[in-house]
Amino acid sequence: MQDQTKTGGQAGRGGASHPAVESAPTAFVSLDEIAPSPKLDLERIRQRLEGTRGREFWRSLEEVADTPEFRRYIEREFPHAAPRDMQPLSRRNFLQLMGATLALAGISGCAYQPPEKIVPYIEQPESVVPGKPNYYATAFDRGGYAIGILGETHVGRPTKLEGNPAHPASLGATDIFTQASLLMLYDPERSRSARYLGSDQTWEQFQAAILEPIRAARARRGAGVWLLMSPSTSPTLGAQLQRFRQRFPGARVLVHDAVSRENVYAGTRMAFGQELQPVYDFAQAQRILSLDADFLTNEVANVRYAHDFMRGRRVRDGQTEMNRLYMVEGTMSLTGANADHRLGVAPSQVEAVARAIAAALGVGGANPGVLPDGVAQEWITAVANDLREHGGRSLVLAGPEQSAAVHALAHAINGAVGAVGRTVTYVEPVELRFGDSNNSLRQLTDAISANQVDALIIVGANPAYTAPADVPFAEALKSLSSGAGKVTVHMGLYEDETAALCQWHLPQSHYLEAWSDARAFDGTASIVQPLIQPLYATHSVHELVATLLEDDILTGLEIVRDYWRRRSPGTNFDDLWYQALTRGIVPNTKAPARTVSAGALALPASEAQPPTAQAAEIAFRPDPTIWDGQWANSGWLQELPKHISTLTWDNAVMMSPEMAQQLGLTKEDMVDLRLGDRTLQAAVWTVPGHPKNSVTLTLGYGRERAGRLGNGFGFNAYRLRGTDALWNASGLQIVKTGRRYPLAGTQHHFTLAAERGLIKYGTLSQLLEDPKHPPFLHQEHHGAPEDAAQDTGNDPHVGTERPGPGPEHPDVPNTLYPQMWPSDRQNPQDAGPGTYTAQGYNSQPIPAWGMVIDLNACIGCHACTIACQAENNIATVGKDQVLMNREMHWIRIDQYHTGTVEDPERVFEPVPCMHCEKAPCEPVCPVEATSHSAEGINEMTYNRCIGTRYCSNNCPYKVRRFNFLQFSDQHTPSIQLMRNPDVTTRSRGVMEKCTYCIQRINLARIEAEKEERRIEDGDVITACAQVCPTEAIIFGNINDDYSNQGRGSRVRQLKAGPFNYGLLTELNTMPRTTYLAKLRNPNPVIEPAAAHGAGGHGAAGHDAGGHGTESQGAAGAHGAAGNEEGH
Amino acid sequence: MAAASRGNEETFDIIGPGHSYESVTDKIASIVLSPRYDRRWLLGVLVAGGVASLLFTGILLVLLFGPGLWGNNQPVGWAFDIINFVWWIGIGHAGTLISAILLLLHQNWRTSINRYAEAMTLFAVAQAGVYPLLHIGRHQYAYWMFPLPNSMGLWPQFRSPLMWDVFAISTYMTVSALFWFVGLVPDLATLRDRSTNPIVKRLFAILCFGWRGSALHWRRYTMLYLLLAGLSTPLVLSVHTIVSFDFAVGIVPGWHSTIFPPYFVAGAVFAGFAMTLILAIPLRAICNLKDLITMRHLENMAKVMLTTGLIVFYGYIMEVFFGWYSGNQYEKYMTFENRMFGPYAWSYWALIFCNGIAPQILWWKKWRTNIPMLFTVSVIVSIGMWLERFVIIVTSLSFDFMPGMWALYFPRPVDWMIFIGTMGFFALLFLLFARFLPVISIAEMRELILHQGHHAGVAEHGTEHAPSRS
Repeated sequence: MQDQTKTGGQAGRGGASHPAVESAPTAFVSLDEIAPSPKLDLERIRQRLEGTRGREFWRSLEEVADTPEFRRYIEREFPHAAPRDMQPLSRRNFLQLMGATLALAGISGCAYQPPEKIVPYIEQPESVVPGKPNYYATAFDRGGYAIGILGETHVGRPTKLEGNPAHPASLGATDIFTQASLLMLYDPERSRSARYLGSDQTWEQFQAAILEPIRAARARRGAGVWLLMSPSTSPTLGAQLQRFRQRFPGARVLVHDAVSRENVYAGTRMAFGQELQPVYDFAQAQRILSLDADFLTNEVANVRYAHDFMRGRRVRDGQTEMNRLYMVEGTMSLTGANADHRLGVAPSQVEAVARAIAAALGVGGANPGVLPDGVAQEWITAVANDLREHGGRSLVLAGPEQSAAVHALAHAINGAVGAVGRTVTYVEPVELRFGDSNNSLRQLTDAISANQVDALIIVGANPAYTAPADVPFAEALKSLSSGAGKVTVHMGLYEDETAALCQWHLPQSHYLEAWSDARAFDGTASIVQPLIQPLYATHSVHELVATLLEDDILTGLEIVRDYWRRRSPGTNFDDLWYQALTRGIVPNTKAPARTVSAGALALPASEAQPPTAQAAEIAFRPDPTIWDGQWANSGWLQELPKHISTLTWDNAVMMSPEMAQQLGLTKEDMVDLRLGDRTLQAAVWTVPGHPKNSVTLTLGYGRERAGRLGNGFGFNAYRLRGTDALWNASGLQIVKTGRRYPLAGTQHHFTLAAERGLIKYGTLSQLLEDPKHPPFLHQEHHGAPEDAAQDTGNDPHVGTERPGPGPEHPDVPNTLYPQMWPSDRQNPQDAGPGTYTAQGYNSQPIPAWGMVIDLNACIGCHACTIACQAENNIATVGKDQVLMNREMHWIRIDQYHTGTVEDPERVFEPVPCMHCEKAPCEPVCPVEATSHSAEGINEMTYNRCIGTRYCSNNCPYKVRRFNFLQFSDQHTPSIQLMRNPDVTTRSRGVMEKCTYCIQRINLARIEAEKEERRIEDGDVITACAQVCPTEAIIFGNINDDYSNQGRGSRVRQLKAGPFNYGLLTELNTMPRTTYLAKLRNPNPVIEPAAAHGAGGHGAAGHDAGGHGTESQGAAGAHGAAGNEEGH
Repeated sequence: MAAASRGNEETFDIIGPGHSYESVTDKIASIVLSPRYDRRWLLGVLVAGGVASLLFTGILLVLLFGPGLWGNNQPVGWAFDIINFVWWIGIGHAGTLISAILLLLHQNWRTSINRYAEAMTLFAVAQAGVYPLLHIGRHQYAYWMFPLPNSMGLWPQFRSPLMWDVFAISTYMTVSALFWFVGLVPDLATLRDRSTNPIVKRLFAILCFGWRGSALHWRRYTMLYLLLAGLSTPLVLSVHTIVSFDFAVGIVPGWHSTIFPPYFVAGAVFAGFAMTLILAIPLRAICNLKDLITMRHLENMAKVMLTTGLIVFYGYIMEVFFGWYSGNQYEKYMTFENRMFGPYAWSYWALIFCNGIAPQILWWKKWRTNIPMLFTVSVIVSIGMWLERFVIIVTSLSFDFMPGMWALYFPRPVDWMIFIGTMGFFALLFLLFARFLPVISIAEMRELILHQGHHAGVAEHGTEHAPSRS
C-alpha cells in the first residue's frame, strides 16, 4: 500500500514534468522494484558515442547503450506503442509515443493523492508572525546626536525605519540620513571581517594581538596610546573612556569631525566663559533671526526644529499668528529658501550684519563696522525693531559654520531681547568633549612626526580622507603603520581610505546590529537596541574599548546594561530597562537647563574684507545628502536630489548666475579653483540667490575608497580646506579650463509655476483680509475689487484654477457630457463630503482616499522621497540614467522660483501621483494595466503592464516612472533582505508610480475588519506622510466624517478649508492629491508692497497673453467667483 | 524592338509611343527572367543588406538589454520609436491610394506605378511594424495587445488608441498584401509561361494559382480586384486617422487637436508620393522604363504632392491659429514659445521649410518636370515629414504641463541604428522585388495598350480583350 502511494505521487510528478520517454528510467522510480534497473555498460556507451560522427543527441545513457534491458523498459511502460526497434525511430512511432506521453501526463494528474498532513513548527518564536511586522524602538545617531526611531522588522529583518513619537528629536518623523541608514545596514560593500595588513583575521585574533601592546602601554601608564574617535554622545562610551583615561593616564583621546561644532562651544566660551549647548524652542519663537544657521537640515535636532518652526507658521482654525524668519547666510541653504526675509552675503560678512543688528539692539561691544554691499541700514533697523518688539518670543541663532564671534553676538542678542530661558536654554554639552576637535589631527600628526605615538586606534572616523589639506595626516599615518613596533587600528563600517593605511581594520557593527546608547540634542538618552544579529563578523565600539580595558564584560548588551545599572541604583533596574527599551527613551535623562550669565562682550576685531570676483570667497559646507563623505556609498542618498541644486551623484562649485556670467562660465564648465597654493578642479553649477562673489563647495565627494557607488564622483573639497579656514576662505581664484563635466541635475526649469497655477501663495496680511476666501487663491480678487471684472479678462492666472471644494464652494462637475459612471456622478470632492453612497464594509461608505500636501509646511528636505524609496522598494538608477532623466522616485520635489534672479523666492512642491478620479493614464493603456479602484486609487498592475509608456505621456503631472532597464537589484542577497515584503519589486519594461502606499491601506483595512470597526483617521499613514518632519503631507479618507470626535478626518477638513487647491484641475482630472497654499509673513516695513500682492506675481511677469481663458474660466474660478458675488 | 531603343526618351504620354502587347510584356518580364545579375543591383543588395543588418543588430540589442537602450526618457516616453513608426506608416499610404482610389476613379495613368507603389506600401508597413513591437517594455508580452481568449478573462482595453492601432494596421497590412498579390496573379502566369528555367517555371506556376487567362478567370479577377480596391479605399483614410488618434486622444498640448486626422492622412499621402518618386526616378532610369513610367506619371505625382502638401501646410497654420485662438495657455506656450522658439525650434522651422516652402516650387511646370529638382523636393518632403513627427512627439512631450519635469530628449546609438537599419531593410526588400517580380503590371499595361490603340483606332476587339498567353 505504502509503495503504491509513493508510486502514484512520483509518477504523477515525473510524468507531468518530463515526457516519459525522455527520462523513463529516472521518472518511473517504482519500476525499479518490479524490474531491476538496467545495467549500464559504460564501455559500450563510450564506444558507441565514439563511433558517431557529428553531433548526435542522446536522451539517456541507457538509450545510447541500447541494451535489451532498456528496450524491455520501454516495452513495459508502453506495451502497445513501444517500437520493436528504437532505432531508427520512425516518424509514426515517434508521434505515437509523444501522444501517449501527453495522454499519460494528463491521466496521472487524475490519480488519487492520499492526503498528507504537514505540521507547522510548533515552537514558533514568540510574537513573530510571518507577514506581520514587529516594531522595536531604537535610536539612530547622526554625528552623535540621537534621533529616536521605531524599526519595522519582518521576520527579523529590519525593513523600514520610522520616527519614534515619544522621542524629543523625532516626534515621529525622521530625516534622509535615518532613512538611508537602513540601506547602509544591508550595503553589500560594508566591511565584513577583520583584516591585518590585507589578510582576513578574526576578532579573537585581534583581541590576542592587541593584548601585548596594550599591556606594554599600561606599563608606561598609557603613554604613546592615542585614541581618535568620531563624535559621540553615548553615556556608556563616555564612562568607558573615562575608565580608559584612568587606567592609561598618559594616553590621549581625541575626537575628529570634519563637520565639527567647535564654533558653538567657542561661542558660548566667549559669551559665558564655559562650553554649553544651546537648545532652541522654535515653537515659542515669534521672530527668528538665523545667522547662517541652516537649522532645518544641518542642526543637531533638525527634525524637531523643523517641526516646531512650521508649527508656528500654521495659520488655520482661527489662528492669526505666524512666526517670521530672517535669514542672513553665506550660501544658499534650505533654511534660507524657507525664510520670509533672506539676506545672502559672503560668509565672512555675516558677522558684520550680526554686529550691526546687535548694535541696533544696544548690545555693548558689538562695534558695528561697515555693512556689506547691498545691505541697507533700514533692513538692519527693521529686523532689530521686530526682534525687540517680540522680546522673549524672539530667537537668534548662529550656525556652526560661523565664527565664535557670531555665536557670541547671537547669545548677546538673545540676552538683550530676553529670549534666554524662553526660546533658548543652555545645557551642558551633550557630546563627549575631548578638547578642540578641529585641532586634533594637527596634534596627532605632530605627535607622530615627533615619534610620540606607539599605538593609534581610530574609531569611526575617516581622517585620511577628511583631514584638512594643510595637515599631512595620511602620510603620517602611513609612516606610523610601517614603523617598527607600532600598532595602528581602524574600526569602521567600511574599509575606507583610513583603513587602507592602518595595519588593522576592524569591521564596526551597524547601529541596527549592536547595543549602544546615545543622547539627543536636549540630553535625553535612548538605548540603541539592535534589530538584527550582526550580518557579518562585526563588533561595536564598546566591545573594542572593553577589549582595550581588558574588561570581564565584553559583550555589547552587558556593557550597556552594566552602565545603566550602575547609573540607576536603588531602582528596579529590569523595569527601568524594559521601559527604556519599549518607549525608546530613558526616563528622566533630559539635561537640566543651566542658568547663564553673560559677561561683557569682548569681540576680536573683524578684519574680513568683502570678496571680489577675482578674489572670491569659498564656503565649505557639509553635503546635503552625503554629509562629510560617510554616506558616499549610499545609492539612495547619492541619487536623492540635493535640495536647492537638485544635483545627484556629484557636488559642484555653486555660484550665482551673475558671477558665472562675469567669469564667462556656464553650468558644467570645469574650473580651476586656486586657494593659495592649493588647487582643485571642479565643475560649476549656478544657483540663483547664491551670494555674490562667493562660491559654495560641499564636502564628501571625490572619494577613492568609499565603494562602488561612492568612488570617483564629484570633487574633493578637503583638498582646498585648511585648518585655519574650515568653513570659509577668501582669496579664491576661479580659472576656466575649457573642459566640461556632466552634472546630473533632476530639474532643469525653475519658473513658470505661478503662471500655470501650480503654486498658490500669498502673504499673511493678504490672508487676514479675508481668511475664508484668501485673495491669492481666488486670483480675480488680487487687484482692487473694482478691477476684478476687467482683471478676469486680462490676467493670465484667471481660470487656471478651481478653488477647493467645500461648503463655501458648491461645485458642479465641469463637463458638458452626461455623467456615465457612479464615480463621475458622485465625486466626493465635487458633491461635497458624505455623499459617496456605494456600500462598503458594514454598510459604511467605502473610503475615498486622498492626500493633502501643505506647501506652507513643506521645507523641501526630500525626506519623503527617500522614505518612499525605502517603503516601496524603489530602485536607484545611477548617474548615467539620471542624466537621461530616468530617475525612479515616486515623489519628487519640484522647485519653483519667483522674483529676481539675484534673490528669488523658492517654493517647494512635492509631487506624488495625483490619483486623478478621471485619470488620463487609464483609458490609453491598451492592456488595462492601470485602472481605478472603488476607493479611488489609480492602481498599477505590474504583471499586466507591457510598457507602452502611453500612460506616462498622457499624465499631465508626469509622475509615472518607467523601468527602462532592469533597475531593481534582484540578485544581491543582502539587498533582498532589505526589501519590503509587501511590495513587489518591478522588472524591466514595467511602469510604476505612487500607490498611496496601498500595502498600508490594506493592512489597516484587514485590522479594521478583524475588529469589526471602521478605519479611523490615522490608521493609514503613507510613508511620505510618516517621515515628514513638518507634517506637510496628510493622508486619509475623504469620506470619513466620523473620526476625530465627529469632525471627520484631517484630510477631509483640510480639503474643505480655504487653502485647498488642485494642480491642473482645469484638465478635469479631479486629482485626489491636492495642495494647501503657501503663506509668507514678510515684515511690512521691509516689504511694503506685501499687503498688495507678493508671491505668485514674480513669475507672472511673463507675458502669457491677455486673452480670456474662457473654456477654463467658465469651468473653474469664474464659476466660483460668480457664486460668491451672488451671495 | 523599336520601343526598347526609345526607352530612354522622355514623354508626357502615359506610355511611350510604339509599344505593343508584346513589347511591354517583353520589356517588363525580361527584367525578371533575365538570367544575368546586374553588378549595380548586386552592389545595391550588398549595401542595403549591410545597412539592414544594423536593424537586426539593433533589434537584438534591444531584446537583450531592454528598452533603456532607446534614448527615451521620463517626460519623452515616445521618441524615435513612434516617430519612425508613423513615418513609415505614412510612406505606406501612397501605394494603396494609387492602386485603389485611383483605380476607382479610373485614373489609368496609375497603371504603371501601382505595382511598385503597392510593394513600397507593404515594405514600408513592414518597417513600421517593427517599432510598436520593439518599443514596448516587455516584448515577450506584445501579444497581449491582441484579443486572445484566455483563462483570466482579460481583454485588451478597447478605449485605448493603441488598441485601435493594432487593428487598423494589421487590417491595412493584410488587405494591402492581398491586393498586391491578387494584382500579381496574371503577371505571374505570364512569367510562368515565359520562363525557361524549370524551377522558376514551377515556382511561378505555384504562385499564380494555375491561372489560365480564361474569360471566367478574368471576370472573377476583375471583380475581386475591384472589391479589394473598394475595401482598401476606406483603409487609406482610416489607418492614418487612427494613428493620429494616438496623439489626438492624448491630452498633451500639441497632440490634443481635432485637426489631426485629416492632416495626418494628407501628410501620409504627401510622404507616400514623395517616397514613390524617390523610388521611381532611379528605377525608371536603371531599368530602362522611361517609356512606361513617363514624365506624365512624374508630373501627376508631383501635382498630388503639391496638393497634399498644401493641405498639410494648412494644418500647420491651423495649429498655430488654434494655439492662439483657444486662449489655452498650455497650447499657446507649446506653439509659440516651445515649438517656434524653444530648444527644438530648429526642427519646427526646418519642418516649415521642408513641407511648407520647398514644395511650392512644384507650381511651375518647368520645375516639376525637372527630374533632379523633383527628386530633391521629394527627398526634402520625406525629411520634412519625419521632422513633423519629431515636432509633434518630442517637442510636445518635452515641455508639457509641469515645468518641474521638463527635459530634453537626445537619440542614442540604437535609435539611429534601428532607424537607418529600417531604411536599409526597406531598400533591400525593394531591390529584391524589383529583380524578382514584375515592377509594373504587365496585364494592366497590355490593357492600357489596348485602350490607347482603341482611341487611336488600331485595336478591333474592344474591352473584352483577354491577353493571349504568349
